Amino acid sequence: MKKIKSILIANRGEIAIRISETAKKMGIRTYGLKTSKEPSAYYLQFMDEIIDLTENTTDIPEFLDIDRIINSIKKYNIDAVHPGYGYLAENPYFAQKCIDEKIIFIGPSPDSIYKLGNKTIAKQLASNHNVPLLEGSNGNIRDIKHAKQLAQKIGLPVIIKAASGGGGRGMRIVENIEDIEKMLRLAQNESEKAFADSSVFMEKYVRSPRHIEFQILADHYGNIIHLGERECSIQRKHQKLIEESPSIALNEELRTKMGESAINIAKASNYRNAGTVEFLLDESGNYYFMEMNTRIQVEHPVTEMVTGFDLVEWQIKIAQEEKLTVKQKDVKLNGWAIECRINAEDVQSDFTPYLGTIEKINISKGKNCRFDTGVTEGSNINANFDSMLAKLICYGETREKAINNSLSVLNKLQIQGIKTTIPFCKAVLNHPKFKKGDISTSFIQKEMKQLYYQETDEEMIAAFWAALNHSVQLDIEDKTFIDYEKGKNITPWLMNKRLKSL
Amino acid sequence: MIFSKSKNSKQKFISCTGNNKKYEFINPKKLYIKQGKENIPIEIITDKQGFVYIIWKKKKYLVNIIEKNQNKYEVLVNGVSYPISVETPFSYKRRKYLANNKEESKIERIQAPMPGKIVEFFVEEDQIIKEGEAVLILEAMKMQNEIISNVSGKINKINFKPDDIVMKDDILIEVEK
Repeated sequence: MKKIKSILIANRGEIAIRISETAKKMGIRTYGLKTSKEPSAYYLQFMDEIIDLTENTTDIPEFLDIDRIINSIKKYNIDAVHPGYGYLAENPYFAQKCIDEKIIFIGPSPDSIYKLGNKTIAKQLASNHNVPLLEGSNGNIRDIKHAKQLAQKIGLPVIIKAASGGGGRGMRIVENIEDIEKMLRLAQNESEKAFADSSVFMEKYVRSPRHIEFQILADHYGNIIHLGERECSIQRKHQKLIEESPSIALNEELRTKMGESAINIAKASNYRNAGTVEFLLDESGNYYFMEMNTRIQVEHPVTEMVTGFDLVEWQIKIAQEEKLTVKQKDVKLNGWAIECRINAEDVQSDFTPYLGTIEKINISKGKNCRFDTGVTEGSNINANFDSMLAKLICYGETREKAINNSLSVLNKLQIQGIKTTIPFCKAVLNHPKFKKGDISTSFIQKEMKQLYYQETDEEMIAAFWAALNHSVQLDIEDKTFIDYEKGKNITPWLMNKRLKSL
Repeated sequence: MIFSKSKNSKQKFISCTGNNKKYEFINPKKLYIKQGKENIPIEIITDKQGFVYIIWKKKKYLVNIIEKNQNKYEVLVNGVSYPISVETPFSYKRRKYLANNKEESKIERIQAPMPGKIVEFFVEEDQIIKEGEAVLILEAMKMQNEIISNVSGKINKINFKPDDIVMKDDILIEVEK
């Protein structure tokens, strides 16, 4: 057992800050990476040491450059690396390289990452351990003819997914058989681009399911527990936008059953560290294993709020081979937590990324609220990075209280300079069906007529503000305008001549 | 806020919204909005950080002009965007006149909804396409986005090639209706 004294955080934004805070609390020295695309980024203020990678930039993005990261770790004699989410978090080659170089990788073994990261293998693991699965291709799609046969066998609609995918990339739903060729190509292209692997598989598409995932913790000694579920049904194009824990759709019996399935997957893959098992839950309470994410997830804070666990702390403890001291029966879900993702996106024009500079940001949060942000005043939002800026996580004793708490904080959360998903989050939290808990992954598409929250007189206020500013502007122009032709009579003839010369 | 006295205290402004609704304000610097026959006062406050709020009928609205080009404003109220063009009675008449006399363009331009990289075109010049058909894939922030044609017609011109970087609003494809 080796105690970790220093960590390189191979990530940026809010998660880099989040990891650093726990590490520091544990007395661990934190190192951050400074990149040329974001040399004055906010997260760097939270690091004990900064490794400057701004010189000698290469074509490989800094957070994906395995050799450079490994060299930095060795150069500064750092004990461990935390990959956060995205980037190298689920790269088995990187995890292996760390082992080879005697660096502690804070995450599971390369073997588990590989097996669970490959959806085809992961599904085989699940089916060998009696975890329910959706009917599917049982392997990758070979070609278009194979795809057509499969679609006919499984029955439409079907979904084509990247074998090494995640985050909604490389996924396409096929409703009509005529579309299958186009959709197959799109899914393959996208997964080739995103994961350097164009292999895709097919499965039955469940309409209006809920997305339920279980948080797992596993140590080196075979102890595995789950920390309950998160519901992440509010998604747009497979991107999660609002998450909560627990889920209104689960009773204690179903929670136990699904939790056991999640633990079975972890067991089957010799899992250790923190991980998440994702399921689809249909309207009749049947659930299907989707995938296991072998990293800390964006939405982990909702679990932390209802269980009182610090997941990053446990990731570090497990990585230094400490034993899980908590038993399953000691895990209690108290109250309710909701996370709203604040993204730099223009909700009114199809959630397109909105680039710019954050001029001002203001949040007044009460005690039952957490704001994990990667940006501050002056932060520049550019196209090199993900559009997620921050996460607002609010707690309440009940779901209703958590919703109300979230809304009251959202109403006071102001960000100037860019457009954000705040009006969208308000619209969801104010929606009567969301309040009732009547949600599914097609909630946005099916239930929301307007994707942003609006007060009745807002348009008139906007109209007034523009008119007032315009009138002040005209006064300024009036004062600075020197009329050289004052007193001259402008004849129609002169006027005409001027107009022509314009 | 202090304003200089306008020469014309009855100066009228007409704010036209994106969906062609119009709001009239007579000398907005007097700080009221007329509703029915009543003039309801407006209060403008700026907080320590410099956020500007309008208070009207006991409700507080965060206001911010995010873009401005001559008389065209994009105003954010509580984070929601409103495109507003401010007209004088004279320019409003001209605007209406122009709108009525505008010949409907035969060319539909498909613009980039966001900055990004072109991945692939599904169409070629001179090809006939149907409304709702995907014409290309644009990659932005790691997502591949299908760009759909809003009209049926013939592809007149393709302005880029795969791997080109495009800015928001760049005209990607021109379709002849």
